[in-house]
Amino acid sequence: MNFSATLGLALPIGIGLAAIGSGIGLGFMGRGAMEAMGRQPEALPKIQVAMIIGFGFIEALTIYAFVTMFFLQGKIQ
Amino acid sequence: MDRPFLGKDLLSRSLRISWVLALALTALLLPSRPSVALAIAAGQLIASSNFVFLRTLVKLFTEKRSAGVPQGRILFIVFAKFLFVYGGAFALIRVAGVAFAPFSIGLGLPLLTLFLKSTIANVAKPAAFILLTLVALTAPTLCLAAEHAAAAHAEEGGSELPNWLVILHDWVHGNPVVDWLNANQILAFAWIGGLAFLAFSWFAMRKPKMVPGQLQNGLEWIIESMEDICGGMLGKHLDRYFPFIGAVFFYILTINLIGIFPGMKSSTSSLDLTLALALIVFLYVQFSGIKNLGLLGYLDHLAGSPRDAIGFAMLPVMIPVHVLGELVKPVSLSCRLFGNIFGEDTLIVVFVGVAAMCLKASLTLLAVPPLMGITALFMLLQTLTSIVQALIFSLLTTVYLYMMLPHEEHAHGETEHAH
Repeated sequence: MNFSATLGLALPIGIGLAAIGSGIGLGFMGRGAMEAMGRQPEALPKIQVAMIIGFGFIEALTIYAFVTMFFLQGKIQ
Repeated sequence: MDRPFLGKDLLSRSLRISWVLALALTALLLPSRPSVALAIAAGQLIASSNFVFLRTLVKLFTEKRSAGVPQGRILFIVFAKFLFVYGGAFALIRVAGVAFAPFSIGLGLPLLTLFLKSTIANVAKPAAFILLTLVALTAPTLCLAAEHAAAAHAEEGGSELPNWLVILHDWVHGNPVVDWLNANQILAFAWIGGLAFLAFSWFAMRKPKMVPGQLQNGLEWIIESMEDICGGMLGKHLDRYFPFIGAVFFYILTINLIGIFPGMKSSTSSLDLTLALALIVFLYVQFSGIKNLGLLGYLDHLAGSPRDAIGFAMLPVMIPVHVLGELVKPVSLSCRLFGNIFGEDTLIVVFVGVAAMCLKASLTLLAVPPLMGITALFMLLQTLTSIVQALIFSLLTTVYLYMMLPHEEHAHGETEHAH
């Protein structure tokens, strides 16, 4: 197995794994935020802001994998 | 003319608009595909002359009724119309070998404008104008994409759509200004974005009123909700830092949204611009930290505010961790923005690339669904991503600032008491 083939196999799998992790994280976050909103509708703006910031942090993990893929993509011959 | 002729004004106006459209299309396509451009112009000529003949006939029938119908002139005009319109079309297609598709586009242009003008004349005139402009903007981009697609796919999996600067560079050879702009596309589009926002805000806030109009109201709503969100974190420091945060938000938002227009490019889809923005934020945050906490306080903050023996014992571990944590911030900020915008752009490029390949293979019907439907869907998604990413960037700036600023000891004590 040479370098290119390894890279070609590993990059999509890596992105997929990162997406799975982020998806689980986003799910937990969304559930928590929704429950909090349902329980306290008057605190909606604060919860939404915190939720969006959290989404940003979690989503960044997949984006890191994505960016890594773009940097390494050129090396696949 | 004694009484106003109903529809005459509409017809001549839509004919004029269709001529403008056809000439613009011809001028746009002439350098790259002269045959297509000339076919469009020929179709437009035939169709508009058909309209003109018809109008003369109708005028003859309706107006000169009192003086008897002039049979000779009507026969002559009918004969001329048949000869010129149908004979001309037949000769163009059969003898001159004009391509059928662009010719029918030219034929359809007057009909389309007439239809648009008559159905949605007053209700949605700006909308129709914007739609037609978008279509006209998309056409050359697609043509160029079809030409570039093969080469790009051969090299490294089509990276991005050709934008206006690339098209300009293809047309104008050896102009130093155009060359420089083409080499620094990110800068050029960032300038366009900044200027666009400046112009927009000047236009919206030119005459501020107590009872605001639509534009002013919308802008004020955005700013006020941003202020609410940031004010929850920054508290009394809001007035000092909100201009910076707001500037970052609107700058990124405008640059992101500019990429939606066909032939334009989001400068944030390049790591250069996002890294520069993130470095500005990083330096500003460090600077305001030193300014607010003092140099000693800043170092204390970096050391994790040790207050007891365990804290001082952990110093060799805590300092590198905190310094690394600070240094990672600009990297994560810039990579997040770049990755999101670049990813959306790449998705659209892939689907437009599919459409371009279908067009290249003359499978026009196959090209329509990916081109219209899916691309429009992804453009909707892109709008959402643009707004959310601009919001996240500015909110994270706020959070970093908040972490650097001295916290209110009073509030801290209360929360501890509550626990």
